[in-house]
Amino acid sequence: MPDICLAFELHQPYRLNRYFSAQDKKLQTDPISIYLDDHNEKILRKVAEKCYEPATRLMLDLLDKDFKAAFSISGTLVEQLESWRPDVLSLLKEVATHKNSEFLAQTYYHSIAGIFKDKTEFINQVKEHQSLISNTFGVKPEIFENTEFTFSNDLVDSIKEMGFKACYTEGVDRILGWRSPDYLYSCKGLPLIMRNYKLSDDVAFRFTNKDWDQYPLTADKFSEWVSQSSGECVHLFIDYETIGEHCWKETGIFDFFRHLPDELMRRNVKPITPTEALRYSVRDDLDIPDFISWADAEKDISAWLENSMQRSAFRAVEKARYFSCNSRIWRYLQTSDHFYYMASKFGSCGDVHVYFSHQSAFEAFSTYMDIISDFEDRCIKTAKYPKSTRILRNVSREEAFYFSSEGGPTGHMAFSLDEFLEMVTVAPDDSIEYHIKRLDFSTWLDKVIGDEKLALELQKAKNRHDIIRIVEKRRNELWKRLK
Amino acid sequence: METLKIAIFSWESLYSDRVGGLASAATYMAQTLAKRHEVHFFTRGDKDFNLFNVQYHVWRPYGRNIIEYCNDLSHGLVARFRDFDNPPFDIIHFNDWHVIEAMHLLKERNTVFSFHSTEYGRNGGYFGDWWEFKDISGKEWYGALIAKRVTAVSKTLCNEIVNLYNVPQWKTDVIPNGVVPEQFDVAIDPGDIKRRYGIHPFTPLILYIGRMAYQKGPDLFIDALPAIRAHRDDVRAICAGTGGMLQHLQNSSYGLPVQFTGFISDSEYIRLLNASDIVVIPSRNEPFGIVLLEAWSARKGVVASAVGGLSENISHLEDGVLVEPSPQGIAWGVNEIINNPDMISSIGRKGRKKTDRLFHWKKISEQMVEVYKKAMQ
Repeated sequence: MPDICLAFELHQPYRLNRYFSAQDKKLQTDPISIYLDDHNEKILRKVAEKCYEPATRLMLDLLDKDFKAAFSISGTLVEQLESWRPDVLSLLKEVATHKNSEFLAQTYYHSIAGIFKDKTEFINQVKEHQSLISNTFGVKPEIFENTEFTFSNDLVDSIKEMGFKACYTEGVDRILGWRSPDYLYSCKGLPLIMRNYKLSDDVAFRFTNKDWDQYPLTADKFSEWVSQSSGECVHLFIDYETIGEHCWKETGIFDFFRHLPDELMRRNVKPITPTEALRYSVRDDLDIPDFISWADAEKDISAWLENSMQRSAFRAVEKARYFSCNSRIWRYLQTSDHFYYMASKFGSCGDVHVYFSHQSAFEAFSTYMDIISDFEDRCIKTAKYPKSTRILRNVSREEAFYFSSEGGPTGHMAFSLDEFLEMVTVAPDDSIEYHIKRLDFSTWLDKVIGDEKLALELQKAKNRHDIIRIVEKRRNELWKRLK
Repeated sequence: METLKIAIFSWESLYSDRVGGLASAATYMAQTLAKRHEVHFFTRGDKDFNLFNVQYHVWRPYGRNIIEYCNDLSHGLVARFRDFDNPPFDIIHFNDWHVIEAMHLLKERNTVFSFHSTEYGRNGGYFGDWWEFKDISGKEWYGALIAKRVTAVSKTLCNEIVNLYNVPQWKTDVIPNGVVPEQFDVAIDPGDIKRRYGIHPFTPLILYIGRMAYQKGPDLFIDALPAIRAHRDDVRAICAGTGGMLQHLQNSSYGLPVQFTGFISDSEYIRLLNASDIVVIPSRNEPFGIVLLEAWSARKGVVASAVGGLSENISHLEDGVLVEPSPQGIAWGVNEIINNPDMISSIGRKGRKKTDRLFHWKKISEQMVEVYKKAMQ
């Protein structure tokens, strides 16, 4: 019989203030209060009511009955519970110190920092999380789980360097091939625990699906499926909000979990913790050249980094390290959820839902860029080289350069000098000509970006290649000073 | 990896004289190679320049006809080439027939010749009996004969060359075209663009983009429209581009839900591409089919004829729909997906992923370096 290892993801982002307007900025000295949405408290209280509190009480019961489970809780959620539901945080402390539980490590901000080229920031956030967990819960996580299970070869060295014994990731079919996820694997020598996504999703996604031919899912039936695995340990990893928030109490989700330990026991499926699962030997070393994750059917990072808005926002936040005067704000902006809100599946035969979600994706993007630009604006005053820093900053949605032609915008946008250079290389010829004729480029560089020198020089530019040459030279000069 | 000194010959580039698709193919190849190698680009123009690490050396040719013009270009560029040949170039890469005379002058060196199309193909798959046709075909035959290695942008084109010019198979490699997805993947509200064409944002829009020429099959698409409308009555179509068949198509589409834009700018192309729900590529013959990569860059669902490069690159019902190049075939393909937005979105996104995996210039240039190495042996 296989063992079973159940783990939960607990995370709430700080959503950004959708009504943020740069005009308010002079009135406020504490930017955090105007960057973050008032709804965060409301949402946290609602989820705590429906899920965090009752689910945690249930978990304590199960742990007392010798069931085992692991928990990965983000720093942004710990902060919010501390502010608004400290009683629930106390319950989680009981869980943490329970002999049958284990706490896992992740990035404090549930962030996309692991995807940055430079891994320093990623490591800093994991360390920040480690000290938070040890200070708040008095335990020291030894197994790591990256944001939404994003993982690739690229992260192995950093994770090993921080001393973790193993890392969780998704049991992606294209990586595993013929292999079962229910064994221990490794990547460049780092032990890998693979999530059994089919069984995990049976609970997390299909539990309430009435069109599913296995509906309704009972603890009895599910335990039977688990027991049929020919592997050594079935790893379930489920969003904690499944219990009570995604599936309301009325669906029977609490009863499902209440009966699960007994049903598993009846079939001789033993619950173990992730650390205990490491006693099995590594079956194979896997090569994971591109990022994988547990998101969508694609199981890659396209949920956060697919369309041009997401890429633009990602570039902006990665680069913001050179501007940041307040790492807390910079890190809040790295939370993966912001990028998820910008996801879009444009233009599929006028599907109404798709159409509206695109609109809100654009709004999410606008808010994000406005806030990051305001943040950098505030920081520039204290920068070492305020003038060069200012020229290289990100600008807001209203200040951005939108490449256009007679017929309107082409959809290429530039929120910084760097991005401008990138877009000048890819924008269509007729748009470049259109702007050269109207002197738009030099006007923007002068009035918005604030580089008179460059603006003046650019007035002489006759074609794309002149612009690229002039801007690239100036850009490199400026960065050299900053880096 | 060792650094190669590479010379690229092409009669057009993106930053000097630009005529068609060869300009972007040759320029992006050079730019990408230049990240790791020393790259000199010999082309038409008035003043040398450096851009993205590529050194452009130019010549302004003169000629009373295209053949003379290209001969003058070849001789001029080789003269320029000699100025930079110390230390000698490791590899000299020629694109299309215009610069074959230059390859002739350097035929003892390590040469690679790339076919982006053939004169026979450009002529619609027929042999022409006028002198330019014969002269250019003769040059293509000779180029393939003297080059150390020959590349073609698809298996189909490669077979065509092997058959037309008796090129031995062992000498050839297929190196596809690449694309810069950021040119086509933009943030634009499809509804805004549709409204400008008098189309409701929720109405499905099918786009044809290309020359209005027999080879490209716009007539097949127009003839498919009645059967598509019978399946989805609010469907709208836009045919963008110009060409000899335009007038005829406009006359024969009376009463059908289609608009003809005539010539459109690159900007308008990007707008229409992003506004559309389905892109059709109904070609009768297609050595590569760059529109496919452009549509995939914008994550569009593609319905394409199962011919040439299109059938080689699309996985049917996975990242596109392959159909017989006929009105019935195209109607079937469109109807298969038009009422299934999830399917359209899914094949479009998978197409984009394939583009990122296989058709980025970085990948393509790595394959080209392998060809260079073979030519140097």
